[in-house]
Amino acid sequence: MSFIARISQRSPWLYRINAGSCNGCDVELATTACIPRYDVERLGCQYCGSPKHADIVLITGPLTLRVKDKVLRLYEEIPDPKVTVAVGICPISGGVFRNSYAVAGAIDRYLPVDVNVPGCPPRPQAIIEGIAKAIDVWRERL
Amino acid sequence: MPDMLSSDTLSLLFAVLVFPGGLFALCVGLVLKGLDRRLAARLQRRVGPPLLQPLFDLVKLARKRTLVPDIACKPVFLAAPMVGCVSMALAAALIPIPGVYDPDPLLGDLLVVLYLLAVPAVALMIAGSASGSSYGAIGFSREMALMLAYEGPLLMVLVTVAIKTGLAQGGVVTFSLSEIVRYQQEHGAYLADPWMWPAFLAFLAFFPANLGIAPFDIPEAESEVLEGPLLEYSGPPLGLFKVMSALKAVVVLSLGIALFFPTAPAGAPGLLVHLLKLGVLSLAGVTVLRTAIGRMRIDQAVLFYLKWPEALAIAGLAAVLTLA
Amino acid sequence: MNMLMLLLRNLARGPSTDAFPFGDTFTPERLRGRIRFDPELCTGCRLCAHVCAGDAIHFDETDEGLRFTLWHNTCTFCGLCEHYCQTKAIHLTDDWHLAHLQQDKYAMIEQGVVAPAACAGCGCRMTAPVPALTALAYRAGNRRIEHLQTLCPDCRRKAGVTGGRS
Repeated sequence: MSFIARISQRSPWLYRINAGSCNGCDVELATTACIPRYDVERLGCQYCGSPKHADIVLITGPLTLRVKDKVLRLYEEIPDPKVTVAVGICPISGGVFRNSYAVAGAIDRYLPVDVNVPGCPPRPQAIIEGIAKAIDVWRERL
Repeated sequence: MPDMLSSDTLSLLFAVLVFPGGLFALCVGLVLKGLDRRLAARLQRRVGPPLLQPLFDLVKLARKRTLVPDIACKPVFLAAPMVGCVSMALAAALIPIPGVYDPDPLLGDLLVVLYLLAVPAVALMIAGSASGSSYGAIGFSREMALMLAYEGPLLMVLVTVAIKTGLAQGGVVTFSLSEIVRYQQEHGAYLADPWMWPAFLAFLAFFPANLGIAPFDIPEAESEVLEGPLLEYSGPPLGLFKVMSALKAVVVLSLGIALFFPTAPAGAPGLLVHLLKLGVLSLAGVTVLRTAIGRMRIDQAVLFYLKWPEALAIAGLAAVLTLA
Repeated sequence: MNMLMLLLRNLARGPSTDAFPFGDTFTPERLRGRIRFDPELCTGCRLCAHVCAGDAIHFDETDEGLRFTLWHNTCTFCGLCEHYCQTKAIHLTDDWHLAHLQQDKYAMIEQGVVAPAACAGCGCRMTAPVPALTALAYRAGNRRIEHLQTLCPDCRRKAGVTGGRS
C-alpha cells in the first residue's frame, strides 16, 4: 500500500442516514460522537453535514417506503470511494419491523452494504468496532 | 535590464508561493488547525485527533471524486476555491514577519491586505450561489450579512493603527505594514499602550467571524444549513477551501501580530518567536472561545458586531486622535 | 466565566476517553450480548420462538433431531427467551463483539440440535424431557416419573389412564 493511501485512510468522515429509525441507534451514534468516553475523532473521524463530504455512511432504520427513494438518492450523492455500515438490526434484516406494510425490507437489497453492526441498539463500543472494520474495507478501495 | 526584472519576478513568486505565502503559510496553518482541534478535544476531556489530522484530511480529499451539481454554474463553481486560495497566498506574502521577512513595497500595503482579506468571503459567497443549492444560498446571504457587520470595525482598527504610526512619524497616515512594524520594533509594541487596547479587542472580536469559527460560524453551520456554501463541494475543490481557510487563519493572525505586537529578534529566533505568537494567539483567541461559547443566530451576531466591536473600534480611533 | 472554569478543570483532569479500539474497554456485568444455546438442556417447548419479538428463533425438524436456529441480525437482545426458558437452555452472554462484514451476514447464527429419543412404549421418535425440567417440576423423582419420562406424549396419556401398567 502506498504512503498516500496510508495517510488518507486516517481521515474517514462519517455521514448518518436515518432510514426511518426509531432514533435508538441515532442516540447511540450521537453518544459515540459527542461523549468524551467514546471519542471517534481519535480515528480521524468527523461527522459531516453534507453527503458529498462523506467517506463512511452509517445507515440506521428499517428503510421505510416513504424514505426509500430519498435514501437511495443520498447514497448516490456520496462520492467514491465510500463504505456503507448498517447500524442496528433494522437496516440489516428489518428487525422487529420486518414484513410490515410500511417497510421496504433489508437495506442490502437496494444498495451495497459492507459492514453490519447488529444490536437494538448496538452499544457505542460495537459501533466503534464497526467503524474500525469499515476503515479496513475502505483502505482497500483507496 | 531583463536579468534584474526576472530575478525580481522570481523572488516575488517565491514570496507568494513558498515563503512566507503559499507552502510555508499552509504548513503553519495546518499545524495551527491541528493544535486547535487537539486543544479543543482536551478542553472537552477527549484525546482528540493526531496533530497532522488536517493534513491527512487534505490528502484524503485530493483522492476523492469531484461531483458537480447539474444546476451549478460549472466554471464559477470550480474557480471559486482557487480564487480564494490565490488571494490568501498573496495576502500572506504581503504581511511582514518581524525580523525575518519584509514584503516588497511593489506588492502592496495595508489597504491591499484589507481588500484581499475580503476575497475568501466573496469566494465563499460565489461558491454558495454558483452551486445552485438552496442551503448554499442561505449560507451566501448569512456570509454577506456577517461581512457587512465585521468589515466596519476591521477597517477602523486598521485606520487607527495607520494613523497612530503616521502621526508618530510626523506624517498623517502610514499604510505601509513594514513601516508600522519597524516603528514598533524601535518604540515598543502598541499592545503595551493601554490606549490601543480597545482597537486590539475590536480586532480580536473580528477574527472568529472572518475565520468562520464558533460562535460566528453561522454561514457554514453544519447542523443548520449543512455547511452552507460548502454543501455541494466534494473532493479536491473542497480541499482547496480547506487550504484557503488554513491560509486565512495564518494571514489574519499574522496581521494581528504585525499590527499590535511585532517586537521580535532578527533571524531564525525571530521566526520562532513569530510562530510561538501565532500559536498562543490561535489557541487563546480561537480554540478557547469556540469551545466555551455556542453558535449565535445571524441576527444576534450582526447586532453584536454593530454594537461592541464597532464601539470599541470607534473608542480606539478617538483615543488615538485625541492623544495626538 | 463558569464555562472557562469548567474548561480549565477539564484540561487539568485530563481526557476521560476509553482506550477502545486501541486497547481494552469495560463490559457491564449484566450486558445482554451474543446468545448461547445448550441443546442438552432444551426440552423443545418452543416458548422462546413464541415470545421472540424480532422473530429471530426458528425450530425445524431434521433427520438429526429438533434444530434450533437463532439469527443475531434480527435479535433485539431483549432477553425474553432466556426469561421464559424453564431450563435455561438459552443464555445471553456479555459478548458484544458482533460487528461483522457483509459476507458473514448469514453466518451470524447460533444453532443446536436437540437429539431425538425413542419412546419406550411405542418406539416412535420424540423429544425427551430433560432431567433439569423434572428437577424443577418435582423436588424428588420417583420410579413412576422416571418411567413416564421415557414415553412419548401418546404413550404417557395411556400410561396415565392405566396407572403406569402398559
